[in-house]
Amino acid sequence: MKISYKWLKDYVNLDVDPKILEDHLTFAGIEVEAIEHIGEDLKQFIVAEVLSAQKIEGSDHLQVCMVNDGGEEPVQVVCGAPNCRTGLKVAFAPVGSIIGGEFKIKKAKLKGYASHGMICSAKELGISEDHDGIMELDTKASIGQDLASYLDFNDIVYDVEITPNRPDLLGIIGVARDLSALYHKELHLPQAKEWNTYDDVNDSLKLEIQNQDKCSRYLATVIKNVEVKESPDWLKKRLIAVELRPINNIVDITNFILMETGHPIHAFDYDKLAGKKIIVRDAFENESFPALNGEVYKLSQDDLVIADGDKAIGLAGVMGGANSEITLNTQNIVIESACFNYATVRRTSQRHKLFSDSSYRFERGLSSETPVFTKDRAIDLILDLAGGQLQQGSLDVYPNPDLAKIEVELRPARVELLLGAHIPLVEIKSYLKALGLELITESSEKIKYKIPHFRGDLLREIDLIEEIVRLHGYNNIPVKTSPQGIMNHKHFRLERKIKDLMVTAGLYEVINLTLFDPDNLNKLRLSEDDFRRRLVELKNPQSNVLRAMRTTLITNLLNCTEYNINRGNKDVRIFELNKIILNNSDKTTEERKSLTALLSGNRFDNYWKDKSTKCDFYDVKGIVEDLFTEVNLTISYTPSQEKFYTENHSLDIICKKLKIGSFGQIDPKIAKSFNIDTVELKQDVYILDIDLTQILEIMDFSKRDFQEINKFPNVYRDISFNVNSDIKVSDIISTIEVVNKAVVKNVSLMDEYKGKNIPKGKRSLMFSLTLNSENKTLTDKFTEQLMQKVIQSLEKNYNIEMR
Amino acid sequence: MKDKLQQIIDKAESELNSITTKPELLNAKSRIIGKKSELNSLMKNIKDVAPEDRREFGQLINEAKDYLQQLIDSRTQIIDELIYNEQVASSRIDLTMPGRRTVQGGLHPLTQIWREVEDTFLSMGFEIADGFDVEDEFHNFDALNTPKDHPSRNLADTFYVEDNILLRTQTSTVQIRTMENYQPPIRIIAPGRCYRNDKMDASHSPVFHQVEALVVDENISFADLKDTLNIFVQTMFGQNIKSRIRPHFFPFTEPSAEIDISCVSCGGSGCRICKNSGWLEMGGAGMVDPAVLESVGIDSEKYTGYAFGLGIDRITMLKYNIPDMRILFENDLRFLKQYR
Repeated sequence: MKISYKWLKDYVNLDVDPKILEDHLTFAGIEVEAIEHIGEDLKQFIVAEVLSAQKIEGSDHLQVCMVNDGGEEPVQVVCGAPNCRTGLKVAFAPVGSIIGGEFKIKKAKLKGYASHGMICSAKELGISEDHDGIMELDTKASIGQDLASYLDFNDIVYDVEITPNRPDLLGIIGVARDLSALYHKELHLPQAKEWNTYDDVNDSLKLEIQNQDKCSRYLATVIKNVEVKESPDWLKKRLIAVELRPINNIVDITNFILMETGHPIHAFDYDKLAGKKIIVRDAFENESFPALNGEVYKLSQDDLVIADGDKAIGLAGVMGGANSEITLNTQNIVIESACFNYATVRRTSQRHKLFSDSSYRFERGLSSETPVFTKDRAIDLILDLAGGQLQQGSLDVYPNPDLAKIEVELRPARVELLLGAHIPLVEIKSYLKALGLELITESSEKIKYKIPHFRGDLLREIDLIEEIVRLHGYNNIPVKTSPQGIMNHKHFRLERKIKDLMVTAGLYEVINLTLFDPDNLNKLRLSEDDFRRRLVELKNPQSNVLRAMRTTLITNLLNCTEYNINRGNKDVRIFELNKIILNNSDKTTEERKSLTALLSGNRFDNYWKDKSTKCDFYDVKGIVEDLFTEVNLTISYTPSQEKFYTENHSLDIICKKLKIGSFGQIDPKIAKSFNIDTVELKQDVYILDIDLTQILEIMDFSKRDFQEINKFPNVYRDISFNVNSDIKVSDIISTIEVVNKAVVKNVSLMDEYKGKNIPKGKRSLMFSLTLNSENKTLTDKFTEQLMQKVIQSLEKNYNIEMR
Repeated sequence: MKDKLQQIIDKAESELNSITTKPELLNAKSRIIGKKSELNSLMKNIKDVAPEDRREFGQLINEAKDYLQQLIDSRTQIIDELIYNEQVASSRIDLTMPGRRTVQGGLHPLTQIWREVEDTFLSMGFEIADGFDVEDEFHNFDALNTPKDHPSRNLADTFYVEDNILLRTQTSTVQIRTMENYQPPIRIIAPGRCYRNDKMDASHSPVFHQVEALVVDENISFADLKDTLNIFVQTMFGQNIKSRIRPHFFPFTEPSAEIDISCVSCGGSGCRICKNSGWLEMGGAGMVDPAVLESVGIDSEKYTGYAFGLGIDRITMLKYNIPDMRILFENDLRFLKQYR
């Protein structure tokens, strides 16, 4: 629903900035979905005067005009409107302005005459349906003024979502009432005026409700001798702001009241009523009903209609009939202020796929008391704007007025119990009073309220508590913490993710005791100042082999490998993720999480279709690459400083300038000291050792950037050449990438070959390049040129021989 | 003329019937209706036919050509069918040969149970807290209402690093560490390693795993403890498993209890595993002793709490039917692969 800021101010004295009001509305449960500045468009148009207008020869309607728009020189414009004439003040759209949000005014030439702009009709400006000619402005309008300020179109409109439980908010007054409660400000409702009355309404009209289940109240008022005409500007502006189309004063008033109160009313042309009767009855099966929208509907017995002496003139709560429509010729009118059953309106509306502002409101359940207010409001506005003679009294059929009287008890202690916050009693009472609730009795434990008729959603104590906290502000309820942030979720997730990753990589988890034999450290050739020498030793060890806390998991994994190989299981692929415990120089201890993996033997269990292959350096390296992709960290490598690896078969892992681990082949001599004879077994042992605590400190799970998926297809090119064996693949890849970083998306090694047909000291390498330009499809020509550059660069840098 | 056509058709029929491959069929097609076919050369003779007969002549030839095309098409279908049957027959495989398993390792059974324990408690709104393996006496004993000369300090043989520094004998240390840093409400579990100077045997290990639970808030009662234990035990072992608590002594809880669950093997009727009692011992529990709360500055009048500790190794052995604790730490791949 649309709510106008200016309109709201008619009922409550708002002094908040419209932008802040948006927030307040949303947090009071009236969610603002969009905000619109009325008149923003109109600021581009200018009040101008037509200085001269001359017919163009050879055209039946075009005139060439000189227009004064307040600028230094008059502007020449070609105009096709018949009412364009010298001396007229008009709405002028200069070159560059945009009409209707899409049509941009450009310099044009018509019949040989240059035209620098456009003189607009009211329809083109989006302020009325009038398209008979250009809009005629007041003769006193000041030239050069922008149209928004001339027309006083400057309002802010909120598009709000009203929840189904709050039909009272489907009118501006309802929203104003909530705001008055929120801001503790008075609500100003329009007061009914006193009018002279004429003949008794009973002499003019008879009213009968045949189905009281479907129509809980019907009020009919007759006004004679009204003058149907265009509405005044203020009324049209109100309607335009909420996207309703002004039609004539009577229809506009009914629409205005619908928007103001949220309760639809309708006006019939009295003279079109056969038998001067209004009967609210079930429709006849297949009764035909010509609606205001020009369609004719075949009704069902379940529909409720408003009928006169012989035909249906309105589909109750949904739409009026074309046969009783108010026209410019209408003289006498009947005003319907009624309340229809929500389910009936909803079913009718669904059955005929006919949805209107009226059905939207009735189907949410409206109050039977509001029609009195809407009737008074209609009388005031019609007599004010259309004149006429009010017939004395109203016909009012209201079978069950008691249904509207509801009382609810509130226990203030219950408010505190449920909300977990203390809201002072004065505040509670002030909110409820402002919402229209009437205090009946009060004791220390209970307050009894009478619920206003328009708040059919307030039936229980809990409904009142919801109102109180809504106005008090959800944000003002203190947070009661239950989970205290004790848990380190990042640590928890990292550990699980990494263990899962190792399992997916084909490794089995092992778990060893924390206690170990530190003599093993000597076997690893650790230097005296190595951090793994910082032992926490037991004063009362159980045995020599369990006398210190382990400072590395490597020795345990090597022991596990020996254990399994001795039992005939030569293919060992295992990992452990566990604590290591170090002694700090200040005698405190440091507990870190370490991830250590070991691979030896076949890469996977023998499968009858495949040749078995042994794990090698690149298997471990692949796990490292997987792992750091998983934790989203970029790493680099340097030759490892660890002495337990075979020389030139190991790397240290560097991330953010810190060493966070290493991997490589265990030196065969060291393997042998752990009783693993790599020569006899014909398999090497590979280790991966990572400091998880450090990863935990520098990684960030949440940091994942989205990368646009390329719209243009990738182009793939392979390149294969011989090169000296000591040239590194990583250098070759970066050399290729540098040739055109924007286009070369990926370079991957496809093959390495040494031996037959390759000169000694050289190897043959094959790379596959993935090329893509993000803004166009790559042409063959471009691709060939790029590949030539790649080859030239490689020849220059590495002396390659193409194959 | 008609005879000639019939001759061509008869010949084509017998030729096509003997063809079984696609290339042969293509050759035959060109021989029968191709440019150099007999039929085509017959067609070329149309200029020699009397003008009034040409129409009929052309019609006859076209009919013959259509018929021959049909013959070829139906032969094509037969050959396609032959090829398909051949293909299916020759691609028969031995369905009994083993499938290709994905290359996957496995989590250690202890880790699997560890996660199950964590997830069960997480679903009940617990947080997971962490503590140190190397602890001081204060957190392991003093704060847990076990002063220096208290006899219960002898209950466990403790590994010492320094006079005052030890390897924690229970995860209850995390209770103290948590309550030192956070005010109630507290609702945590703390799974972790503990150390006691026991020789490794079928049911003991100097290093073992426990999970501690601690809840401190207003209105926490013994009944809440029983409820949490029941839910946990039934989630871990199944709806039929019951838990019970019976009086016991721990310095840091009052009242204290030991937790039993009905035997997961026999269901309570008595067997070897439960030593015919129908019940298995699972750990200790109780209401947090007011002295413990006061030692960390929590108002024991306002707040109450419960705590319990369970053996993760024991739960693993029961759930996976592992008879000897040593197997858990041997890391024999034949064992690990059973539980992948």
